[in-house]
Amino acid sequence: MDISLDIKKRKRKKISIFKIKRDTLVPYLFIMPWILGFFFFTLGPLLFSLVISFFDWPIIGNPTFIGLANYKEMFFEDPQFWKSLGITAKFAGIFVPLNISVALILALLLNNNVKGSGIFKTLFYMPSVISGVALAMIWGWVYSDEYGILNYFLSTIGIQGPNWLGDPNWATFAMVFASVWGQGTMMLIFLAGLKNIPKELYEAADIDGANVVSKFMYITLPMLSPTILFNVITSIIGAFQQLSLALLLTGGGPVGSTYFYAMYVYDNAFKYFKMGYSAANAWFMFLIILSLTLLVFKSSSMWVFYESEATIKKKKG
Amino acid sequence: MFKKNLKKTCVYIILIFFSLLFLAPFFWLLTTSVKGPEEVFLFPPKWIPTTWHFENFMKAWNLQPFNLFLKNSLIVVVLSTIGQVFSSSLVAFGFARFEFRGRNFLFMIVLATMMIPWDVTMIPLYMQFNFLGWINTLKPLIVPSYFGSAFFIFLLRQFLMGIPKDLDEAAKIDGANAFQIYWKIYLPLMKPALVLISVFNILGTWNDYLGPLIFLNDQRKYTLSLGLSQFKGMNGVDTTSMMAITTLICLPPLIMFFLAQKHIIDGVSSTGLKG
Amino acid sequence: MKKIIFVLVACLALISCGQKEQGITLRFATWDSGDALKIQQDIAEEFMKENPSIKIQVEAYGSGFDQKLVASFGAKNAPDVMYMWDFPTYSSQLENLDSYIKESTEVDLNDYYGGLLNYVKVDNNTYGVPSGFTTHVVFYNKDMFDAAGVKYPSKNWTWDELTEKAAKLSNPNDRVYGIGLLGKPDPYDFEQFLWSNATSYISPDGKTLKGYLNSNESVEVFREMRKLVDNKSGILVGGKQQQSGSDIFKASKIAMYENGIWPLNGYKKAGINVGVAILPSFNGNSPKSVMSVSAISMWKGSENKEEAWKFIEFYNSEKAAKLRVADLPVRKSLVKSFGIEENVELKPFYEMLSLADSTPSFLLNSNWKEVQRNLSPAIEEAMLGLRDPQIIMDEVVEKSERLLKE
Repeated sequence: MDISLDIKKRKRKKISIFKIKRDTLVPYLFIMPWILGFFFFTLGPLLFSLVISFFDWPIIGNPTFIGLANYKEMFFEDPQFWKSLGITAKFAGIFVPLNISVALILALLLNNNVKGSGIFKTLFYMPSVISGVALAMIWGWVYSDEYGILNYFLSTIGIQGPNWLGDPNWATFAMVFASVWGQGTMMLIFLAGLKNIPKELYEAADIDGANVVSKFMYITLPMLSPTILFNVITSIIGAFQQLSLALLLTGGGPVGSTYFYAMYVYDNAFKYFKMGYSAANAWFMFLIILSLTLLVFKSSSMWVFYESEATIKKKKG
Repeated sequence: MFKKNLKKTCVYIILIFFSLLFLAPFFWLLTTSVKGPEEVFLFPPKWIPTTWHFENFMKAWNLQPFNLFLKNSLIVVVLSTIGQVFSSSLVAFGFARFEFRGRNFLFMIVLATMMIPWDVTMIPLYMQFNFLGWINTLKPLIVPSYFGSAFFIFLLRQFLMGIPKDLDEAAKIDGANAFQIYWKIYLPLMKPALVLISVFNILGTWNDYLGPLIFLNDQRKYTLSLGLSQFKGMNGVDTTSMMAITTLICLPPLIMFFLAQKHIIDGVSSTGLKG
Repeated sequence: MKKIIFVLVACLALISCGQKEQGITLRFATWDSGDALKIQQDIAEEFMKENPSIKIQVEAYGSGFDQKLVASFGAKNAPDVMYMWDFPTYSSQLENLDSYIKESTEVDLNDYYGGLLNYVKVDNNTYGVPSGFTTHVVFYNKDMFDAAGVKYPSKNWTWDELTEKAAKLSNPNDRVYGIGLLGKPDPYDFEQFLWSNATSYISPDGKTLKGYLNSNESVEVFREMRKLVDNKSGILVGGKQQQSGSDIFKASKIAMYENGIWPLNGYKKAGINVGVAILPSFNGNSPKSVMSVSAISMWKGSENKEEAWKFIEFYNSEKAAKLRVADLPVRKSLVKSFGIEENVELKPFYEMLSLADSTPSFLLNSNWKEVQRNLSPAIEEAMLGLRDPQIIMDEVVEKSERLLKE
């Protein structure tokens, strides 16, 4: 099969459906709200912060131009920068896979038409409804070395629970579990994606005698891949921007073991009044997240399967 | 038949196990709300309080003008959700259904905006809104919702790309223009996803703390989440009151969610094409 | 097209809706919450009764106080009147109040305890009027002491006595402990223990940490604290955030807890039979407490300075002081007229105040914030007992010497 011919045929088909001339304007009209919003609410502040990253601005005082000094300090003179980066990467490395797995497992379980699925769904989603101070309070109690329920439960099965919030080796895990607890959003998105898979595919597979595993591997996963892509990307972004829970629950401790990069950026701005330096930090974080996302996106052509681009094939086959 | 029942039972057991895991912290939230201060930190933990202090709820609610906070929260939530549903779906449709120059580049930018840390834009945004005279009003919390949100646009776009294009062809033959296709065909099709983003937006704005903190000054304009933070001053926390208010604040979104999730189940299984 | 026009019109409509209000409104920012916040609102009400043409807008920033304030200074849109504590950092944004004070019949600086005035002055200019303060004391649960047959802390008790009492009061099996210690204390507060052992973080001239932070006396303090935890006579508690020592004290799980005046009313409301003692002394040195001073300041850029000063005067008056039950009066005359010195619970605070003569480190070196970045986790590490305090403090001294100079 000549692939290039295939592509050309597809392009021709698409062009004939939407007339070119009038319709080059139409898509822009649709996305106009976002473009406007971007200029008003995003671009301006973004440029401002980019510019300010070349200044030293103690907020309470005037900005002075210092060129690349902030960036130089960040990379070469500030060990905390690298420490926080490492801590955040470690957190993301554990959090993202765990988060996706748990959300997917829960969604798969709930997709089975079990009675009372509505109640279960609400139960699993409830945690993400709580945020901020209250969330930190709850987990502070759960994780308390002396009075917490987690160690209490562990003790009933004979395990001496660690000092979750007081032991530098365990604090990151404590943060991961507390964050995964709030995975409800991701589970919902997976559920929506699962519901979107046509039943006919499963029925066809059943007729062919496929078992649970192959149905999962060859129907569920591919059809779910756009959703997985979405969740992976948002999960990575979320992991790198982890701030409020750390701020409230661990305060970056113990002994700085959960001093995430976002907190480092925040402190530089509001605790140490180095707005320019903080802006430089923030831009660097932005670049990292951007690169990671691009990587994932680029790789997506290999493993993500879009139904809409498959209809032509289906018709042919 | 036995296999099927076994499978179902397994599923149930796992579900219940997870439920308990997820439920436990919540349970503490609820029971602490009604405990007296002497019971909050008992060990072994006291799951059921000896005396139920339901008056904690009233007491906590009256400590601050929560009725006002509630009103403000409702205004923000309703108006911003309406804005998001329409603007994000419009934009997502534009990205999902058309081929045009710069499409991928622009979409990358949309994604990129999701990654911008709040710290970066907070102060400049504050200055911008200050210039417009919007500080200490609810406008900074509502107006941006009418311009779409990257997260929702991304989600809806992914969702739309999973729908076969055959519907477009059919509609074109009937002489519909792009907007009509969007309004009459896709918007109804997107209902489950729209319900989803509405739920997310409601929750996000309901719980939003940083936005109201920065943009609101006058206490009478505060939203619920900001009001909740009043229990945590610089010197100590009023545990029972905080838990009580948290419980109350959690209830409306939960109820709403429980009612709405039925819509996510229905009507998604088909994409409008049979055979 | 239609949609765009609609959006633009909507924007314009919204913008035009923001009309300015009539009359003078004074913005007053506070960090209080809960009951303390109600007091602020009551004070505002009283002021408005006497000054009907002025409206007070109480802005409660809670724990986001610094962030909010900084953002508002940056945007040149700060409140007219505000609580203030960190004068060295913020003084450039505050109005110099000396001229107002001179002309005022209500505010007399001589009526204030000397130690407090040091906090509100920068380069000998007064930037705030002290409104409240607290020193630290040790709260103890009399019922728990009675049950264990332990004598109450004596007037000049020592740290050794505290250690003894804590051991007798502890019962680890019931998760009951003699004392609660902050696992992550604010370095600002913690310095008081070093002062109580005749040392400090930094030299009096603010130039070096060597021989102070890592001195024997300093290390001894950390070791003594750690001993309590290791012997299971004390536990580490969370402080301000979660699992606060106050909550655990209210649950009668710890018999002693060091703190300022803030939680006292809460303890009483929770039904604890609470006693108040001054801080114990180390090795016969005089115990010293840190002072937490809050003041009222005016924004340099306020457009209503006259009215703002009126409010500051009112805040300083006896009427307002009467309402402020969660704070200790800062004016000597009021302390006398309220009969505070006879109050058994409040007397220790003033005792500690009279003993206080140390200058906190953040006033001695302008780069202290940077040093604290190293110091804070180090103190935490010492309290957690992860390494020997001598090693930890030596490390901090080494890492931080260059920061002092910049």
